Amino acid sequence: MLNITRRRGERIVVGDDVFVSVLEVSGQTVRLGIEAPRSVRVYREEIWLEVKRENEAAAQAASAALPEIPAGSRLPDGSAGTAVNRTPPPSTPRS
Amino acid sequence: MALAIESPRFGHVEIDPETVIEFPDGLIGLGGSRYALLTSDPGNPIVWLHCIDDPSLSLPVTDPQRYFSDYRVELNDEDVDRLGLDDSTSVDVFVTVVAAAELSEFTANQKAPILIWNGRGHQVINQAPGCDLRAPLFAEVLGGQGPAAV
Repeated sequence: MLNITRRRGERIVVGDDVFVSVLEVSGQTVRLGIEAPRSVRVYREEIWLEVKRENEAAAQAASAALPEIPAGSRLPDGSAGTAVNRTPPPSTPRS
Repeated sequence: MALAIESPRFGHVEIDPETVIEFPDGLIGLGGSRYALLTSDPGNPIVWLHCIDDPSLSLPVTDPQRYFSDYRVELNDEDVDRLGLDDSTSVDVFVTVVAAAELSEFTANQKAPILIWNGRGHQVINQAPGCDLRAPLFAEVLGGQGPAAV
């Protein structure tokens, strides 16, 4: 593994288009800023790992027999289904 | 020309290229770039997101609205921009399902839904509060702790 020492405000470059900045260092915590092309997905590792594990667990059923599945609630005709929205910005206290 | 795959679940399947869903980034941690939604029983709420490039890979998915009455998806700004979504885009939402022998042990991943529109699919991280990585899928249907089905 490449091991690089950086100070606050310094960056590293991955390839030609991913920039990782050290924004803040405070005790055991490092705040990083990541600039990357849209096509590059960036996750916190623990989130990436838990989703990967759930995907793998789901895929275990690839040829398994399943019990009869209850239908659940049916959507009324014309319903838009599950709403997909932008996360509302956190409310900031006015100074 | 139809794409033929040999599926462990469905056997020999011919897939209409029109129904292929492109996942530019694959599924998180699993990859794959071309999938199709397959089922042998149109009445079954669980369908299979079946990888075409690797036919041994398929995941049961379902419409979360059937089982989680207050389920919604919130995306951070980076994902909204990356996916090019706006309020007028009509998106189909699925959640992956971990199957089990007993219905009470089925879970669905509310945190990483799969969004499909215009023949493209993306698995995203849901920023909505209260999402569970292993939400009991049939809690509302079977009674138990979930809100009662109406």
